[in-house]
Amino acid sequence: MIGAGTNLTAIIVFIAFVSVSLAITWWAAKRTHSAGEFYTAGGKITGFQNGLALAGDFMSAATFLGLTGLAFIGGSDAMLFTVAITVSWAFILFAFADRMRNLGRFTFADVVAYRLQPERLRMLAAVGTLTVAIPYLIAQMVGAGSLIETLFGIPYLGAVVIVGTLMTTYVVFGGMLATTWVQVTKAILLLGGGTALLLMALAQFGFNVDVLFERAAEVHPRGERIFRPGGLYNDPISVLSLALAFICGTAGLPHVLMRFFTVPDAVQARRSIGYAVVFIGYFQGAIVIVGFAAIGLLSGETEYVDESGRIAGGANMVAVYLSRLLGGEVFFGLIAAVAFATILAVVAGILLSASAAVAHDFYTRVVRRGDISDQAEVRVSRWATVAIGATAIGLSALFQDVNVAVLSTIALAVAASVNFPAIFLALFWKGLTTRGAVAGGVTGLIVVVVLIVLGPTVWVDVFGNATAIFPYAYPTLFSVAAAFFVTVGVSMLDRSAQAGADRSAYPAQLVRSEIGQ
Amino acid sequence: MGDEAQRLQDPGFRRLLARRSRWRWTLSGLLIGAYLVYAVAGIYYADAYAAPFLGSAVPWGMAIGYLIIALTIALSLVYVRVVNRIESSEREDERP
Repeated sequence: MIGAGTNLTAIIVFIAFVSVSLAITWWAAKRTHSAGEFYTAGGKITGFQNGLALAGDFMSAATFLGLTGLAFIGGSDAMLFTVAITVSWAFILFAFADRMRNLGRFTFADVVAYRLQPERLRMLAAVGTLTVAIPYLIAQMVGAGSLIETLFGIPYLGAVVIVGTLMTTYVVFGGMLATTWVQVTKAILLLGGGTALLLMALAQFGFNVDVLFERAAEVHPRGERIFRPGGLYNDPISVLSLALAFICGTAGLPHVLMRFFTVPDAVQARRSIGYAVVFIGYFQGAIVIVGFAAIGLLSGETEYVDESGRIAGGANMVAVYLSRLLGGEVFFGLIAAVAFATILAVVAGILLSASAAVAHDFYTRVVRRGDISDQAEVRVSRWATVAIGATAIGLSALFQDVNVAVLSTIALAVAASVNFPAIFLALFWKGLTTRGAVAGGVTGLIVVVVLIVLGPTVWVDVFGNATAIFPYAYPTLFSVAAAFFVTVGVSMLDRSAQAGADRSAYPAQLVRSEIGQ
Repeated sequence: MGDEAQRLQDPGFRRLLARRSRWRWTLSGLLIGAYLVYAVAGIYYADAYAAPFLGSAVPWGMAIGYLIIALTIALSLVYVRVVNRIESSEREDERP
């Protein structure tokens, strides 16, 4: 077993990262006073910096470690995810970047509430944010706890408390400015670490990808069949559901959407997502090659992989084992520390979006109807951050054995089925009414939860039933369709006075969304 | 309100809206369409996807996947350039 409790490099690199991140937080704290500074770093981040931060928000340990493991086990099926993710970011760029930036200030709720009845839409957006953020946060923290336990030898509970305390510290004191720079630092580390791993792996094959693929097919237990797609999903509904989960889900992640508001204008917003597409596309593509290289290099190393191809410690360990094989204890320590840094930066971003939903959308806008001073709002946000951070630590400690895949599926599916339809129709369809948006959002949420519970990830894997009532792992094809159908249907039938006001406010919103103030 | 209604009729604004919409939906449709065709076709043509790509050992399915990623990156950069230029040129038109 791979006990790295004594890996000096890992500990040094990790302590260096934590020190730098705390220095960033201290520096940012002196510049974070108003609500605008707390939520959006005063809108002064440049396109390039924000592009790195956006890429960092998405390149979690789950994508880095998970995708390498998926390529190792599933072969070319990993491409299904890689391409979907890259395309989804381009779609965010084309459809959302400029209009979101021009209409919103702090959260995506600003955009959906722009011309609709604000309190009801903000409630919906706050629920949509929390049902994405909390499962996502716990999935990341539980994953982090187990990973750190394996890599550093720190007990699970201690690991969760360390991660939770650090993320809360970044957000409470340094707000978006600290979160952004921690994310930028980590994105550079991750891109650098991933590239180093890619080059070292390619060097083993004389930088010849032909040799790499030939070797993978030779040694993999499934042989050449790893090049055949369909090992994971072999019916069109599953594939389309997966595509929708990524394309609509990524565009509905609150911590990603919040990043649109950290840049000064629409020009920088487009530029930042453009950079994000480049970084994410490159990284995702590189990671799949690393996974295929790992097949050739790790197979036969009985310390890591047994004869049937099972990986000690689970598929997530493939990238970490590969780093040790190629670069010894020093490189292994480096990659382990980068994986830890990745988790820290990602959870900080999610925590900030959750606290903005509670403090800004719910408390400031709904409970107080905007009648609150800027200073008081910042104070509420900080307390909300502490409360959510503590809750996340508690839940992660309690549910160590929770199925991380379930939580991630819920988060992405809710983002796709609740947040995405509301934002998309608010931006592009003048017929959208308050009643339609709320009815559609509630429908999306209910359909997602019911279908996930009845589906294979919960009904079979968690409850232990033999077969699932609903056969597909991702419910998104049905839940997104239901949300759109109900939103459009209810809006069209809506004859209320509010509906008239909602529709007639569209031209003003359209002008503003295209040209800004 | 009057301001915006007027703005909406403004030929300069209509032109800006039309040009941006064209770029927005053409590129979105192209890339999402390419992905969906790629993903669903993999189910029915699994053997073709596994066959080596033009004399290399890289399977077709992987090669096409990488081509779509490269295309996505290229089109995103083109979009940022072109649409940001539309923005600055329209801004200029508006100045008296």
